[in-house]
Amino acid sequence: MNNRIKELRAKEGLSQLELAQLVGVRRETIVFLEKGKYNPSLRLAHDIAKHFRLPIESVFLFDDEEAGKQNP
Amino acid sequence: MKRTIIGFVISALVLLSLAIWAFRGHIAGNTQEIVMAAIVLVIVGFAVYIGISRLRSLQRHEPAEDELSKKVMLRASSLAYYISIYLWLFVMYISDKTTLEAHSLIGAGILGMAVVLLLCWIGVKMFGMKNE
Repeated sequence: MNNRIKELRAKEGLSQLELAQLVGVRRETIVFLEKGKYNPSLRLAHDIAKHFRLPIESVFLFDDEEAGKQNP
Repeated sequence: MKRTIIGFVISALVLLSLAIWAFRGHIAGNTQEIVMAAIVLVIVGFAVYIGISRLRSLQRHEPAEDELSKKVMLRASSLAYYISIYLWLFVMYISDKTTLEAHSLIGAGILGMAVVLLLCWIGVKMFGMKNE
């Protein structure tokens, strides 16, 4: 699973620490998410997507979905 | 915060016990005891590192523990459990082939378990937990 957290965070001009504080996790968790080293819980995914005012599926992308987009 | 303080208190007690053990002359200075004392110091250092990182999180107004840190510890613990089974099998295997006393072997096994947990924690932190 990949995500667009880094891109969306940069668009809003938020630091990792600020986003972490907004969604109630440690900065390290945001670092792990951006590096793709951790898949968040449904709750955290929901909170992050809610912060960016986007549906979860726009923030978190499954690998097969991405492959499908590239090779429809 | 309470758990962090408990961690620091336990670390201090372990260090105090080690110091008393050393200053009362119970450490004969042979390689085995020096290695054991070094391993204890490494484990205490790990506990202190965890405590300091929790305090830093609190200073930054982050939670001291969140879903990632809990999952890292859970994954490291489960990995360490499986590895420790083989560690104890190895300890049983060498128990017949060494002159070490039973309490030394048990002590080495317990310290080994702590080292295995530390290594698993570092491994999980390094490689992450993708697709779990």
